[in-house]
Amino acid sequence: MSAWLEQPKDLLANVGEGAKFSAKIMGQVYSLRVLRFLGEALRQAGVLITSSTVVIWGLVFIIGLQCGLEGAYFTRSIGSPAYAGVFAAWCDLRELVPYAFGYMMAAKVGTGIVAELGSMRISEEIDALEVMGFDSVLFLCATRLLASWLVLPFMYVAAIGAGFFASYLTVVEQVGDVSSGGYLLIFWMFQNPPDLLYSLIKAMSMATVIVLVGCYYGYNANGGPVGVGTATAKSMVVNLIMVHLIGMLGTQLFWGANPRAPIGG
Amino acid sequence: MASTVVNRVFDPAKGALEEVGDMMILAGKTIVSAVRPPYSYGDEFVHQFLFALRLCWFPLLVSTVAFGFGAPGLQAANFLVLFGALDRLGGFFVLASIREFAPFVTAVVLAGVAGTAITADLGARKIREELDALQVLGVDPVKSLVVPRFLALMIVTGLFDVYALIFGIFGGIVATLVNGAPLGPFWATFFGNASTTDLWGSFVKCTLFGAIIAVVCSYKGMTAKGGAEGVGRAVNQAVVIAFLGIFAFNYVFTQTLLATNPEMLVIK
Repeated sequence: MSAWLEQPKDLLANVGEGAKFSAKIMGQVYSLRVLRFLGEALRQAGVLITSSTVVIWGLVFIIGLQCGLEGAYFTRSIGSPAYAGVFAAWCDLRELVPYAFGYMMAAKVGTGIVAELGSMRISEEIDALEVMGFDSVLFLCATRLLASWLVLPFMYVAAIGAGFFASYLTVVEQVGDVSSGGYLLIFWMFQNPPDLLYSLIKAMSMATVIVLVGCYYGYNANGGPVGVGTATAKSMVVNLIMVHLIGMLGTQLFWGANPRAPIGG
Repeated sequence: MASTVVNRVFDPAKGALEEVGDMMILAGKTIVSAVRPPYSYGDEFVHQFLFALRLCWFPLLVSTVAFGFGAPGLQAANFLVLFGALDRLGGFFVLASIREFAPFVTAVVLAGVAGTAITADLGARKIREELDALQVLGVDPVKSLVVPRFLALMIVTGLFDVYALIFGIFGGIVATLVNGAPLGPFWATFFGNASTTDLWGSFVKCTLFGAIIAVVCSYKGMTAKGGAEGVGRAVNQAVVIAFLGIFAFNYVFTQTLLATNPEMLVIK
């Protein structure tokens, strides 16, 4: 009996620890104490831009191709290929670009943070920081969160652009059932600035959770070099579940009660 | 100056191409060694199969229900309700779930959960020099470690596709019920539009995703280097490459399937 209860108990304890740790980091960013290490935050922002942007845009581009493809064939099958833009607009902006962004953020940035902080923990660099009188959570985790908030909104909007471009390529250039003008008319008709904002909110919530999860698992890694690998793998499980849950909750919240479509009166 | 620019552009490209080539070689070696006797990898295969099963069932359940309810469920239901045609949601789920998201959500979860575990495990063995020790003992690491993981992950990913289908459609059912509609028309249009081609396409795609994940993650684990940071970095790179590989393959496969089987596009 007690063995059965052990697992949920551990899970709850871990969730609580993680939430406490995350709240601490968020507090440090919101109270602007993180600005003491603004240089480090800017350096992390630079690392994020140079090492992760292209990969994230690449995955979003491929997903955009996929959306366009399914949209073109689906609307062809219901006999209205001119309306491929509806499918592409909703599929790209509302659902799959945030998901693709979340997947690649988890894979590239989240596990990257765990690997980096974990190896710092194993080689006792974090303890060394503490001994030198640095607040290690502030220096390592809060700067990373601030860096991601500085960079990611812009990166995400550009990623949406990559997805739109890819859908255009498949629907108009590759499958070619609809003219360029006809596609773009419908495509832009079925989205508006609030949709973009909602999509951005969804993606930024995913990114924040991913950075916090990465910091938690990396900062608390233990058990030698093998431990870093295990912590990296574990962080990925949590990240994937969170990305999907945030995606679903975002859809329910922003579009659940109101389709936001220019149809009907 | 010009040569440094050229080097900056071409060296990473060359490195990436070499890595892809090495992965292809590993895939070839794995397949050859899987079919050539002796078949000594049975125990490890069962072990890996159960390991992936135990690790992935819960994340996959949450992911597929959430994805099925949110993306195709709510959004498509919203659209169809405007036309008073919510019964068509079942037909849409054939496209959304069977053809598209069941395989790729399965692959993403398997790569993120089982794939990372494989890389972490093999990477740890590599830097503790266990792989070298195996070779010294005359045991082939490809046959004893990679082949069982390759086969187990292929089969597990293929089978998990069924599981993802069931729970993805469950998400669609919830979306229908949330809109206060009866389920009969959902099932009627779902089974009316479902075709065997869709189903086998989904399975084949998902099984091949499993092969991609297994090869990439085993390769990255077996070539991990550089101590504590090395294993973590290997996991990081493995999951990035696996995701890119999965989605690029998904695009090519779906395009080929849709273009060569026009009969599955007919709405019934």
